[in-house]
Amino acid sequence: MNVLSVKDLHVKINESHILHGVSFEVPTHSVTALLGRNGVGKSTTLKAIMGLYPSQGVIELNGSSIAGKLTYKIAQDGIAYVPEDREIFSSLTVKENLALATRDEKDIARQELVQALFPELTTRAAQRAGTLSGGQQQMVAIARALVNKNEIILIDEPTKGLAPKLVTEVADALGRVAGETTMLLVEQNLPLVKRIAQHVIVMDQGRVVFQGGPENLHDPEWVHTMLGVSGGHN
Amino acid sequence: MDTFLLIGITGIGLGALYFLVASGLSLIYGLMGVLNFAHGSFLTVGAFVGLWFSSQVMHVSNTWTFIGAMVLGGLAAGLFALLVERIVISRLYERHIDQALVTVGIALVVGAVLAGWFGNDLRLLPTPAWFINTVTIGSAHIPVDRFLYIGVALILLFANTALLRFSRIGLVIRAGVENRQMVAALGINVRLAFSTVFFLGGFAAGVGGVLVSAYSNGVSPLIAGSYLIYGFIVVVIGGMGSVPGSFLAAMIIGIIKQYANYYSPGLGDFVVVFLLAGVLLLRPQGLLGKVKA
Amino acid sequence: MLRWKYSRPLLAILIPLLFASPLLGNNPLSHPGLQQTMAVAFLYGALALTYDLLFGFTGLLSFGHALFFASGMYLAVLFINHDVLVWWLAVIAAVAITTILAILIGSASLRTGGITFAMVTLAFAEAGHVVISRNFGGLTNGENGIALNADKVPGIFIGVFNTKYLFWISLGTLVLVYFITWWITESSAGRVFAALRDNETRVAVLGLKPARFKLLSFVIAAGMASFIGVVMLMVSGSAAPRFASSDVTIALLLMVILGGAITRWGAVIGGIIYSVASTRLQDLSQSTALHSVPKIISGPLSEPTFILGLLFIFVVMFAPGGLSGAYYYLRLKVISKK
Ligand SMILES: Nc1ncnc2c1ncn2[C@@H]1O[C@H](COP(=O)(O)OP(=O)(O)O)[C@@H](O)[C@H]1O
Ligand SMILES: [Mg+2]
Repeated sequence: MNVLSVKDLHVKINESHILHGVSFEVPTHSVTALLGRNGVGKSTTLKAIMGLYPSQGVIELNGSSIAGKLTYKIAQDGIAYVPEDREIFSSLTVKENLALATRDEKDIARQELVQALFPELTTRAAQRAGTLSGGQQQMVAIARALVNKNEIILIDEPTKGLAPKLVTEVADALGRVAGETTMLLVEQNLPLVKRIAQHVIVMDQGRVVFQGGPENLHDPEWVHTMLGVSGGHN
Repeated sequence: MDTFLLIGITGIGLGALYFLVASGLSLIYGLMGVLNFAHGSFLTVGAFVGLWFSSQVMHVSNTWTFIGAMVLGGLAAGLFALLVERIVISRLYERHIDQALVTVGIALVVGAVLAGWFGNDLRLLPTPAWFINTVTIGSAHIPVDRFLYIGVALILLFANTALLRFSRIGLVIRAGVENRQMVAALGINVRLAFSTVFFLGGFAAGVGGVLVSAYSNGVSPLIAGSYLIYGFIVVVIGGMGSVPGSFLAAMIIGIIKQYANYYSPGLGDFVVVFLLAGVLLLRPQGLLGKVKA
Repeated sequence: MLRWKYSRPLLAILIPLLFASPLLGNNPLSHPGLQQTMAVAFLYGALALTYDLLFGFTGLLSFGHALFFASGMYLAVLFINHDVLVWWLAVIAAVAITTILAILIGSASLRTGGITFAMVTLAFAEAGHVVISRNFGGLTNGENGIALNADKVPGIFIGVFNTKYLFWISLGTLVLVYFITWWITESSAGRVFAALRDNETRVAVLGLKPARFKLLSFVIAAGMASFIGVVMLMVSGSAAPRFASSDVTIALLLMVILGGAITRWGAVIGGIIYSVASTRLQDLSQSTALHSVPKIISGPLSEPTFILGLLFIFVVMFAPGGLSGAYYYLRLKVISKK
């Protein structure tokens, strides 16, 4: 069973055609990694799913279409989004950032789950989010997606620009979350992908060029041709 | 010394009036990216409703009449602003230039309707008798209405701040000023926040309209003109989307303008524009504004 | 765009005809009254065209364009009346100084963009308006304006009997501004302006500095506006603060939007019609036909800005191409039916 299924998705922005018919599925209770070189359209795909870019094609959440819906309705339908540049509200406190995202305040269990995952955010609740470190900001962004019960979480390069120690922290957090929920993860950090992903999608120039299991990630030659990085170690 | 004080407090009073116009402009711009030329019409609508209430409904001009005029003027302008947002602005979603243009059209039409009904001559707004009193500070005799303007502006500043800080909708507005798309991506319908800022902005401008009429001794469709332009200047200097920034800038501008005008009539506007140019060169995001991501 | 194929023969007939009409026996344009009205209308057509270059072609929503129009007018009248310069040098100096002013104001305003730019230009223009209308420095004679001293300019620029010369000068100015604008917008700089309007990042990616091209457009439009201001000084015989008010810029916006932006002729027609109509609507407001209608309706109807404002809202919301847009739309329909 697939939570999310995308068929023949096209995105054009200011006359430039960015996605040329992207199709893939995200199976339930799995982590699916969306990979590809810079600029192939991964972020654009996530934004199009969230309704942040106008698109043509089929986007279905648990079998019903969400294409063309307003962004806030898509989010309410159960898609959480952690954008590439975190986009936390820097003038709001940590607590306000989370309160804003919380749709069901009575769901205490969820809030406790988030507190357990990110104890540091509880101690920094009154701090303005803009003054947090990059890693902490990323925690806020992920926590914001977890405070609600969602069908799927879209996460865009959560370890980008973080110091190695913080990468580990974020990776650990994602690893713990991975069991609980379905995730579509865009990530350049291959060791992290290998650790938590059960499915892999590779994009190139606005199209999906591979969809399958993560085994190939252990083949350096495959990784090199598909992703243009010298595979394995990172 | 007493003239110095008198001019300073008059300047703060004038700044308070600018703030009433600018606070709404700033929030509307900060949240929605709408340059609202119709804001002057909100002020005028408030002024005329205030005039109607104080001269047609009530027949005594006491303190309660004046308070009633402010509240009704504010409410009427707020509702009018809400209608403008719902009927016109929301149809031009994200078309910022067209939104600005259409508000120009609304300003023209409202001005024409009011001029057609009431003419462009000043009509006296009844004010309570104590308006002509003065307060003596040291040797300076300061007209008491100046303190009224300052007081009303402060009340609205605090109410605005409290709403923004402690209510859910305030949280949405603050977050939306920073990043509207992300608010939507969290499952929040930002449109409610749009309507709220239009209503609040309209309310403050409407109250401002009644006060401006009291300050300039009358109501006419033309009273809003310079206040709108000063409102824009205040918003740019204070920083788009920042209500405290607007307050600070409004006070600075009011004071500087009054002192400069005392030194040489007409100099005030000139100095203010130089200030604007300076701020643009040195700090384009304004005093308390943030650089948008 | 109106293609050369269609417009060249049309213009080749229309322009000489207009030039000749004051001399062609008894026709509406042989009377000084209409000549005067049309001279003013041509100048507003030209001014609207310079605004189209700025707003339509480059996408800069400036609310300060009137400032440069008025600056040309006031500098010229001051130089001429005070014998600072002989009249033709005064014209050149007025345009040159205004151009420098535009460089300064443009550089400061263009540090912002989009909607903020609109606010900032409005503020600068308002300062200019205040300087002029408050008689700051005792030079501008405040609200009364300054009459051009008739002894200091050649006779053809003056008076009711010479209206036809003013008609010709205005028409010539319009033609000149039209060709300059045509030349600029069809040049490679013009393509950059258009690209700036559509997608600024793409221009930056090509290695061109968007800010510099915007400034260029701003300054060229301002320079032409100042020249039109000088001619308006001749036609109206005096410089007045109303030419500097933001109402003028708003009127320009109406002319360009109602006529249709980015087509050049749309702005010109918009300017001419607006200018003539606002005189005529004024007459209508005094007409007796409205007396039988209750005041609640007749009041607003007697205000020219009521109809214009409603029309403007309608065009912005539902017919963004304006008059010229509607023309192209209809032509497309006719062609596709064939
Ligand atoms: N707002 C935009 N306007 C124009 N082009 C864009 C925009 N956003 C992204 N692009 C282009 O779309 C392509 C895909 O970008 P993106 O989805 O961010 O790639 P990825 O996330 O895979 O690195 C890139 O070539 C980028 O330049
Ligand atoms: Mg990306």
